[in-house]
Amino acid sequence: MAAFVALLSYASPSDWGRFIDDPYIWRLVRFSFLQASLSALLSMALAIPVASCLYHRRFAGRQTLLNLFAVSMVVPTIVAILGIVVVYGRHGWFTSVFGFAFPLYGLGGILLAHVFFNMPLAVRVILQAYGLIPDSQWRLASQLGLSRWQAFHLIEWSYLKKTLPGLFLLVFMLCFSSFAVVLSLGGGPRSSTLEVAIYQALRFEFDLNKASYLSLLQVAICSTVALAVYKFAPAVRQDVSVYQGQRLPLRSGVLPNVIDGLSLSVVLLWVLPPFIAILSPIVSPLFWHTLQANDLWWSVWHSVRIALPSGLLALVIGLSIAALARSVRWRSRGDWLADKLEQSGNLVLMVPGLVLATGLFLLLRHLGIGLRHAYWIVVWVNAVMALPFVLRAIMPTLYQQEKRYRHLYEQLQIFGWSRLRLEWQQIRTAMAQGLAYAVLLSLGDLGVVALFGSKGLETLPMYLFQLIGSYRVEQGGCVAVVLILLCLALFYGITRLVGGRRAVI
Amino acid sequence: MLSFDIQYHWQDFQADYQAQLPAGITSILGPSGGGKSTLLSLLGGYLSGQGIIEFSGEKLDHLAPYERPVSMLFQSDNLFPQLNVWDNVAIGMSPTRRLTNEQNSKLKWALEQTQLLGFAQKFPEQLSGGQAQRVAIARVLVRDKPVLLLDEPFSALDPRLRDEMLQLVRSLTHQFNWTTVMVTHAPNDAKTLGGKVMLVEHGQVQALVDVQALSTPESGSIFTQYLGL
Repeated sequence: MAAFVALLSYASPSDWGRFIDDPYIWRLVRFSFLQASLSALLSMALAIPVASCLYHRRFAGRQTLLNLFAVSMVVPTIVAILGIVVVYGRHGWFTSVFGFAFPLYGLGGILLAHVFFNMPLAVRVILQAYGLIPDSQWRLASQLGLSRWQAFHLIEWSYLKKTLPGLFLLVFMLCFSSFAVVLSLGGGPRSSTLEVAIYQALRFEFDLNKASYLSLLQVAICSTVALAVYKFAPAVRQDVSVYQGQRLPLRSGVLPNVIDGLSLSVVLLWVLPPFIAILSPIVSPLFWHTLQANDLWWSVWHSVRIALPSGLLALVIGLSIAALARSVRWRSRGDWLADKLEQSGNLVLMVPGLVLATGLFLLLRHLGIGLRHAYWIVVWVNAVMALPFVLRAIMPTLYQQEKRYRHLYEQLQIFGWSRLRLEWQQIRTAMAQGLAYAVLLSLGDLGVVALFGSKGLETLPMYLFQLIGSYRVEQGGCVAVVLILLCLALFYGITRLVGGRRAVI
Repeated sequence: MLSFDIQYHWQDFQADYQAQLPAGITSILGPSGGGKSTLLSLLGGYLSGQGIIEFSGEKLDHLAPYERPVSMLFQSDNLFPQLNVWDNVAIGMSPTRRLTNEQNSKLKWALEQTQLLGFAQKFPEQLSGGQAQRVAIARVLVRDKPVLLLDEPFSALDPRLRDEMLQLVRSLTHQFNWTTVMVTHAPNDAKTLGGKVMLVEHGQVQALVDVQALSTPESGSIFTQYLGL
């Protein structure tokens, strides 16, 4: 918050009239809005049938697909973009298969990339919502002979409709403030977004006034959308049912099978090829050549040096918020406070990371602390940016523990550290997931680091971006492999180390 | 006649049930963890074991729950919280809840039988425990399946209400010639219901006798042990 205010203090609102009349900025707003809405709707439209299919069916490769989704959520943006360019670019696979080029640069490419990132996220969130459906409802559905469609309409939809507004908002915000995708696939000023404009104002024009106007505009739009969505969104109610049973058959038909098959193949075609494209350079001799470059290993070191502390920081902040929220929930007037605490974590989604970073930078400069500390700014901002995801990962588990055992803990006077030690076995999987997401998000960050990209902070994504920028795409592909392997190693290492042996990706 | 010969294994629990139940009421008694509910779930199709289940010469063991001539009432969660009473009963006749005139009047009749006519527009969360289970019974009525399985559906009700529900089940069973099987913890429930009583222990049917045996158990019989006499 302070960072945001600091940026605003450099604004001179009297000049803003000049910007309001600027048709370019309004075109930016319109385009940002359009692409974010389309991306969110498209992701959800695909995610709903896929999630339903994954929930009801058990088939070979189902777990692999879920793992693939988990990975595609955390693949660094720049790597995925590279994969998409290899597949859909002018000389890409798409062109060689269909004989004409995919209109990649512009809205098409942006949607392609945004759905690639957010559809798996949506599937996961929806599957989480499905997890809240008591087994007893499926038992009833099976007894009464409901078909897949009837069960969807009656059972799944009534849980989904509580989740969808929040999900739409999440994806909308992520896409609205999307930076790297638009920067690389936007293809010029015609399809640019506010976030990119803020970056340009800060980095190239160093026009703090304009930047603060633009970011205020962005915050205002995101808040309006958030308010509108939350106004219509029914509250999520955790249903408690003791019954846990095995999966029971529902009446099946031709239509559900066709929809299942169709949605699965669309999703596979969407997600799989870029992955194959990313990993394909591993067989080329250039890959081994690239591995010997000194710059590569320096940037690996910088990446890890930023990602690990900022992941830990995000987890600590997230844990503090979650612990506070759950200690007041289900008490008189405590629910209100808990809601506010939960929302405070999501607030970060409304304020773009670049704005946060710049504001913090200005604040520190104001306090007389120089650019030497860019490292800590990057760590801090990355941690805050990861907060919504950390909260999403750890909150349900922490709440569940509190709801079931609060009285026990109170009765036995177990608080604080000793409680954490007791709970650890139950919550470590969720903690590991939160930490892993935070670390990987920070590892893949390109926005904040690009802004402060000074000597000594050249992370792996930066290095990759520079390579692509200087048209050394092939070498870039090899670096991307290193980056994704680093991601997988960290993800696997963290979930295993923190989450314990039982943890699954 | 409902007859079964089924085996079921789960972890170190082994069950092997054989019995033939006539139309009318059979109460299942037995200690906790003895496999009473497991038997009911096998009959309803909610668990799958090996062996044969037959009803009036029709084999049931490979049918999905919705294909069996069976209605089952569970301890709780018998209603969809998102549907009102009317819809919760209607869905028993048609998954789409689009009813013919005939079905509509049948539904009304069922609500009458269960004294729920004034509650048709209420949602489950606005009902008491007894009312909720009566809604479930109304659905059993409209479904009109010849076998009714009850897994302690009235155990959470107070004694008077519980008695009323048992009377209702008893009169409906006789009226429609159902084969009703009810799991219970209370020997008194079995006495109220009448009919037969079956003792299930260690995953096996230990005895199947007329309910009078509970009132005058022969000394040394298996029931005296169970009743702690």
